[in-house]
Amino acid sequence: MPLETLPQILRENHRTYGNKIVAMRVKDQGIWKQYTWEDYYTKVKHFCLGLISLGLQRGDKVSILGENKPEWFWAELAVQSAGGAAVGIFTDCLPAEIKYFVHHSDSTFVVAHDQEQVDKLLEIKQEIPKVRKVVYWDPKGLWSYTDPVLISFDEVIGLGKEYEGQHPSLFDELLDQGRNDDIGAYCYTSGTTGLPKGAMLSQRWLVDSIREWGELDGWFGKNYEYLSFIPPAWITEQGIGIAATILGPMITSFPEEPETVQENIREIGPDVLFFAARLWENLNRMIQARMIDSTYLRRLIYRLALPIGLRVADLENGNKKIPVLWRILYFLTYHAVFRQLRDRLGLSRAKAVYSAGAAVSPDIIRYFKALGIEIRLFYGSTEQGVMTMPRQGDIRPETSGPPVPWVEIKLSDEGEILIKNRYPYEGYYKDQDATQAKIKEGWFCSGDFGYLTDDGHLIVIDRMDDLKELAGGKKFSPQYTEIRLRFSPYIKDALVIGSPERHYVTAIINIDLDNVGRFAENHRVAYTTFTDLSQKREVLNLITGEIVKVNQTLPEWTRIRKFVNLYKEFDADEDELTRTRKLRRTFVEDRYRDLIDVLYSDKEEYRVEASVTYRDGRKGKIETSIHVNEV
Amino acid sequence: MPHNANGIILRISDLSLSFGGLQALNRVDLDIRDGEILAVIGPNGAGKTCLLNCINGFYHPYEGSVLYREKDLTTLKPHKIATLGIARTFQNIELYSGLSTLDNLMAARHIHMKRGALPGCLFFGPARREEIAHRRQVEEIIDLMEMEPIRKKVVGSLPYGQRKRVDLARALCMNPSVLLLDEPMAGMNVEEKEDMARFILDIYELKRIPIVLVEHDMDVVMDISHRVAVLDFGSKIAEGLPQEIRDDEKVIKAYLGEE
Repeated sequence: MPLETLPQILRENHRTYGNKIVAMRVKDQGIWKQYTWEDYYTKVKHFCLGLISLGLQRGDKVSILGENKPEWFWAELAVQSAGGAAVGIFTDCLPAEIKYFVHHSDSTFVVAHDQEQVDKLLEIKQEIPKVRKVVYWDPKGLWSYTDPVLISFDEVIGLGKEYEGQHPSLFDELLDQGRNDDIGAYCYTSGTTGLPKGAMLSQRWLVDSIREWGELDGWFGKNYEYLSFIPPAWITEQGIGIAATILGPMITSFPEEPETVQENIREIGPDVLFFAARLWENLNRMIQARMIDSTYLRRLIYRLALPIGLRVADLENGNKKIPVLWRILYFLTYHAVFRQLRDRLGLSRAKAVYSAGAAVSPDIIRYFKALGIEIRLFYGSTEQGVMTMPRQGDIRPETSGPPVPWVEIKLSDEGEILIKNRYPYEGYYKDQDATQAKIKEGWFCSGDFGYLTDDGHLIVIDRMDDLKELAGGKKFSPQYTEIRLRFSPYIKDALVIGSPERHYVTAIINIDLDNVGRFAENHRVAYTTFTDLSQKREVLNLITGEIVKVNQTLPEWTRIRKFVNLYKEFDADEDELTRTRKLRRTFVEDRYRDLIDVLYSDKEEYRVEASVTYRDGRKGKIETSIHVNEV
Repeated sequence: MPHNANGIILRISDLSLSFGGLQALNRVDLDIRDGEILAVIGPNGAGKTCLLNCINGFYHPYEGSVLYREKDLTTLKPHKIATLGIARTFQNIELYSGLSTLDNLMAARHIHMKRGALPGCLFFGPARREEIAHRRQVEEIIDLMEMEPIRKKVVGSLPYGQRKRVDLARALCMNPSVLLLDEPMAGMNVEEKEDMARFILDIYELKRIPIVLVEHDMDVVMDISHRVAVLDFGSKIAEGLPQEIRDDEKVIKAYLGEE
């Protein structure tokens, strides 16, 4: 019996573990509901057969549009069982974006979460004629929808049961036909540059590369807990969430709502988890803010404990021997402070903890290391999956670790990272040219700038395209500075600007409303809106102080000389950020061109009249004046 | 829409109420029919809230009657009226601000609880089963109103818009057969209003119970109600479909004043 595809392994899990081992948990109506491997397999089988009875064919694509819920996993596995591929779409996509993904991928079905997503799909129904049915799994609010294109998840399962009665051996035959060359999933690139491209992932990628990863990091055979909440449309959740939990096997838990993740993490205490860089920053920010609000005694204890943790973390990172006295001190502070802190964060059992997608500030990695949590900041991409991975006990805050065993890395003369991979993607869908353009002499061009340390650790600095030259020809990475700025609890986002025509570096800052608001409260600064708060003298001074701190760690020529606090936050709905919250630099620079010009003039004030787009698509206007500040 | 005697759930006839010399309601007649969303609008002080207060027994009118399925409510106490299945929300949100959202909602189930205090304290056998059954119903409302993130939060710490939502959820937890909403969207921003309008429509679709909506926001009223009644200085000056009301001269005068 071949075990080349995820559905085949799912069948194997079902045979081995049946009803004895829990595969999934989902919190619903305040209670964790469990599904065993038997349940998982049966749902997949019936949903698959249901889709087939509705006309799904081998090689078809099915878009899935929803939050992390068991239904997403069932749907994806069902599609793969039939020899098709799942196309993940982010839930906050606007109808036009959804249209692009569904249309470009030639999807014949869409599986959608709830009324919100169904409404978006009905809006674009005419433009996606290939779609036969839109399946929804949460019927709330859809009771009176009569559009014939709609069908509920349970109805499809019902159809599947019927179909199984007529074709009892069909599902097994379908699984047996699966090969590791089959495309199992499409992950669209986030589109920092141009239109998103659909990277095709084969079953070989899903099964073999993730199995090697699991063996490398020791996830398997321990029935680890995993909390699924990063978007499954993203390759990382395809790997750790969908594939690894079947290969492990691991128990996947789904939070009740995206807003309850923090609570649910505590209830589950996952062993394996992935937080995007932002989340680690937010956690750190949250701890700092809570400590500011805490009682004097608690603050004192925390302030005494933290340097001990940091000191030991530094010693460990430097591969130095830790003196016995420090070991004892650390043991005491760990049990007195850090253990409780970890428990509060739901990280008490965390063993394999990851981040990727954007650089995490070394300070953050060092901070969590002090709590005994090693964040493995790996380097990966939609096309190549995981490329480097920090190894346990050898976590260095500034590097992304050495290459994984199945990947070879070298640098081009310009410093671009080049990849050879045993498990690469299968090219971009319907875009042979773009696929070819990425390959030079057998190496895949990542488009990232970085360098390798003497002992083979990779340091990724920035996208090649995002490196900026300054007057005088010196190169610098704005992103590098931005990340350090974001470590301040008062700065949520920053855009750092510099170019050959400009003689110094400047920045546009987004203040963090929560923490700056709290600061304003404590310092009796009255304010009305975000815009008003951002331009208060006290706040400008506060931000100046934060920038000075960051400037001290930077080379002379890359230091920020002038900045403004922006009157609004950068927003994905206005295309300023990608859906994974990365800054769209060129777009943003273009949008605020006038403001940037002012930063390089003698003016001290700038009057704005700008349009803003609200979540529901309506436009509003902001009129205000912005101070230009020198550092 | 033709009038017919069937399908009328609440019949308000000749209702008058005054405070000293102030005539709060003046001979108001109004029928609330099965399966409709009826909006009651009017300028400030028109007597909209007074009307709700008369229905659910906070005020007793000195003249006229409120008939609920042939039963006269005018002399009954508010808690009696609640057990008959008439639930309401409040303009100024009257929740137990020291309790969690969940406890507030469970408290609303109290009128359906049959076990006494002692078995409840011992939490044994039937009492336990009963509690679980009620919790399940409450959880369904929490799911409907998307309140999972605030389930365990103390109500006093919630922002205004969410407290309004808890208020509505509590009314719903009583499993009512008539729902009276007193300005459910007052003081909300556009996004919160849209959410609230969606919840009201969801509730209506799911339960198909008559909903009486007192509201200021004309856009919302026109969007979601089936019928509109207009009060001005305690008298009903118009009643009809939203479109008719929009063009009614008396209504325009009441809102904008005479030229």
